[in-house]
Amino acid sequence: MIITKNLQKRFGDHEVLKGIDQHIEKGEKVVIIGPSGSGKSTFLRCLNLLEEPTGGEVWFEDTNITDPKVDINKLRQKMGMVFQQFNLFPHMTVMKNITLAPMKLLGKSKEEAEEKAIELLKRIGLEEKADSYPNQLSGGQKQRIAIARALAMNPDVMLFDEPTSALDPEMVGEVLELMKELANDGMTMVVVTHEMGFAREVATRVLFIDEGIVKEENEPQEFFNHPKDPRLQDFLSKVL
Amino acid sequence: MEWFQNVCQDFYNATIREDRYLAYLEGLKVTIQISFFAVLVGIVIGIIIATIRVSAKQTKSKILAVLSKICGAYVTVFRGTPVMVQLMIIYFWIFNTRGANQILIGTVCFGLNSGAYIAEIMRGGIESIDKGQTEAGRSLGFNGLQTMRYIILPQAIKNVLPALGNEFIALIKETSVISTIAVNDLMKMASFVTSRTYNPLPPYIIAAVIYFVIVVLLTKLLGIFERRLAKSDHY
Repeated sequence: MIITKNLQKRFGDHEVLKGIDQHIEKGEKVVIIGPSGSGKSTFLRCLNLLEEPTGGEVWFEDTNITDPKVDINKLRQKMGMVFQQFNLFPHMTVMKNITLAPMKLLGKSKEEAEEKAIELLKRIGLEEKADSYPNQLSGGQKQRIAIARALAMNPDVMLFDEPTSALDPEMVGEVLELMKELANDGMTMVVVTHEMGFAREVATRVLFIDEGIVKEENEPQEFFNHPKDPRLQDFLSKVL
Repeated sequence: MEWFQNVCQDFYNATIREDRYLAYLEGLKVTIQISFFAVLVGIVIGIIIATIRVSAKQTKSKILAVLSKICGAYVTVFRGTPVMVQLMIIYFWIFNTRGANQILIGTVCFGLNSGAYIAEIMRGGIESIDKGQTEAGRSLGFNGLQTMRYIILPQAIKNVLPALGNEFIALIKETSVISTIAVNDLMKMASFVTSRTYNPLPPYIIAAVIYFVIVVLLTKLLGIFERRLAKSDHY
């Protein structure tokens, strides 16, 4: 579903990604871990071109999206993204946050979009918040709404950029729970996170990115129990 | 007592006598029309320029970079010269035909001038919005312009509303300059009445009061609008 070929990204003289080759299949749940500054968020943001790669290619559903002729806006509709800072639109109600893109981009009627939104809100248990503004919600609620907003576009893949890092500890659980449900429903997911428990439980594959390359990748049991790369062993001994 | 009677007589001469109050109303109509259309032109120019200049910074597009330079020059020129001079140049250069539409002259001149100021206000507003908002919009599949229109501008305008209000108020008062090219705005009408009564004080005081009332009303209106937009701020 997503293929990166020798993906590179540099900011000026600073080389953040030094060539990453990955195949992410439909239905996979890929969790990316690594120390801060390792390039894991940059890698994720290159997948939907929020960061423009400076070398290599990104393919999504058999289209080379790094080709300048490709309409990236159309393809991004199929790639939901969830941010560390939620990035809900503060001037709109929860309902408008969720229905804006389906109405303007998919040409759905207000009724259709709202019906879908209510369905999503029920699923995340926040239907009574439809008319609230983001400022009136807790961090955990905001992030769940942000996930619902992305889901309203019926994406084929969901990208999560440290979705629980800005949350109070007591709110991390509700967001991870929702992500687990999403995973169980078969959604293809790429998740950058520091939540090792989540990686262990949900991931079909875990990547360790350090110094701009994938140093180790494996299914979670092997990855956490028998890490081979010394840098990964060191990293895991500190975070586990 | 006699003094008071004289004042009353002066004001009577400047308003009721020969139905002179109609002159102010006529002038007021012109002033309001010019101000209204100039504000609209100013907002449109301002938003376009601000969008171009901010977008040029974010992308590597050569065309945008050139446009941004042009917009920058426009802003510098219109902020760097007196509106009176601009009016004269626009009037004698572009509208050098007799009987050119007065409202149109005013709209063009003050709209262009105000556009330069509003562009800078809007640019500040747009740049004050967190980058994450743009990223959220783009990640949903909106293009740059749609993101600007649905997500960034509504928040930016809300943030700069007090500054915009200031600009509108300044604009309304500044339109009085147009009386110098014989456009029959409120100011011109006041001086016209003066030429009939030979007593300048009452007509100009009346004009001052009318300008003041317009500005106060506008301030109230903006206050209502601001409160409506602030709805999303309540916790």
